[in-house]
Amino acid sequence: MAYDYLDLQCADQIVLNDDHEALKKQVRKFVNEVVKPASIELDKMSALDVIKEGSPYWTVMRKMHELGYHTIFIPEELGGIGLDPLGLHIFFEEMAAGSIGLAVACGVDVFPSFFTSLILPDYPELEELIIQPYVADRDCSLLGCWAITEPEHGSDILTPYQDHFHNPRITHQLVGKPDGDDWILNGQKAAWVSNGTTATMALLFFGTDPSKGLAGGGIAIADLTVPGVSRGKALEKIGQRDLPQGEIYFDDVRVPKERIVCTADAYEQMTDLVLGAANAHMAVMCLGGARAAFEETLTYTRERVQGGKPLCEHQDIQRRLAEMFIEIEAARQLSRNVLNYNLWSFPPHTTYSMVSKIFCSRTAFDVAQNALQIFGGNGLSKEYHIEKLFRDITSTRIEDGSNETLTLAVGHEILFGERPY
Amino acid sequence: MPVFKNTEHLYETLGGFWKALYERQDFSQAVKSAGIQIKFEITDPQAVIWVGPDGVEFGEQNLKPDVTMQLAGDTCHAFWKKEVSLPVALAKRQIKSKGNIAKVMKLLPLVKPAYDMYPEYMKKHGL
Repeated sequence: MAYDYLDLQCADQIVLNDDHEALKKQVRKFVNEVVKPASIELDKMSALDVIKEGSPYWTVMRKMHELGYHTIFIPEELGGIGLDPLGLHIFFEEMAAGSIGLAVACGVDVFPSFFTSLILPDYPELEELIIQPYVADRDCSLLGCWAITEPEHGSDILTPYQDHFHNPRITHQLVGKPDGDDWILNGQKAAWVSNGTTATMALLFFGTDPSKGLAGGGIAIADLTVPGVSRGKALEKIGQRDLPQGEIYFDDVRVPKERIVCTADAYEQMTDLVLGAANAHMAVMCLGGARAAFEETLTYTRERVQGGKPLCEHQDIQRRLAEMFIEIEAARQLSRNVLNYNLWSFPPHTTYSMVSKIFCSRTAFDVAQNALQIFGGNGLSKEYHIEKLFRDITSTRIEDGSNETLTLAVGHEILFGERPY
Repeated sequence: MPVFKNTEHLYETLGGFWKALYERQDFSQAVKSAGIQIKFEITDPQAVIWVGPDGVEFGEQNLKPDVTMQLAGDTCHAFWKKEVSLPVALAKRQIKSKGNIAKVMKLLPLVKPAYDMYPEYMKKHGL
């Protein structure tokens, strides 16, 4: 039986113009001069030192705000750079080629402000209160995060439209109670909140109606500088050590009604929409990581001599480099098409975003694993950058939804979803 | 029973509202300088409204939209009455859009003055 696949290219033609080429050059220069050196330095520091004032993390984040890179999702009319989908793809591939962790930090930074721009028709006062100060920020005194996972909820809280999402025994650990039109929040978010230890605001997911299980939730643009908000310790991790992550605790924190994006009536759909955007971007970051591992390997095989000649002159090394190249090129085509389609069509086809994230993180891991083998014993040594890339890339198969859970969600969609296959 | 009884009624009321909005210098100037061509594909009743640099047009035209919004007539009415939140409507598939999301966002500041005009305009038409 033939299945009705989605013609991803029908959204819009992908054509690189002069602006895209200039953007690629500009971001690559920034990454080589600022992001990559900082990432290498941060990798050697403790999680606590990473977030201390004066650390390279703050140098990078401030420089990004200086250049306006924190506004790439905010349209020009609201003062942002407002990149198109292809521009976003180029930006995040280049950023992640320097550091996946800092690319994620940059991506989640804009979440609260981007969702604020969506509810401006309802609450125009938020333009002055949130968007204008964020867009004008040059010293990173305003920084965003995406706070969704909880100690007991990781990939499950990211995957709506499945049985577990409606089980009333599985409920949010950050709980909201209505107080007039406002909400009072109590509970905590997981140690995996990216920028969780450093952000001043969050796109925050919380429970509103436990009888509906995880589907009984709400989303807020939360101010994390108000009384009642506190942070957990900075998380020590195997990879992406340059990305600060940690818990956020809420103790009787009031969120006014104008900061509520949605409550239970649209929570499941909205979660799907956010996942559709997040996975499509995470795929691009995996691609960037894969490319970095490939580039490191290419250079190494030209310099390293074994058996009386450079590695690259060995036939099997040439085959392995070609395998990496094939995977990376396929990952770029898929992730570009999915990002382009899903940012041109609203609401997105989230299944394709998940497919792209799964494929690109697998590609990144395959490439990194093969690269490490080619480096041999040197690849296991901290003296070679490939060791760091391998650790950073390993995380991508778990973050933004573990690949196993996302694959199950894709399978569920194929069999029981909105689109017939 | 839909708010707009039929296509003619929709063009007369909702279409008329867009034309009235376009007569405002600030709005039409903003659309012209943004250079955005928006196509509204409306169901219940079936209708097509174009808003772009050359003005407001009804029905199929030989124009290329930058952004296409698909929605029901009742959703249009609820949107202008501020009874529907845009992100919620997008998430719930009550509104579907095709086009660069950045361009969709460009619309938002442009429609601000319309919220005040809409209830008064519709009242005149008995809605």
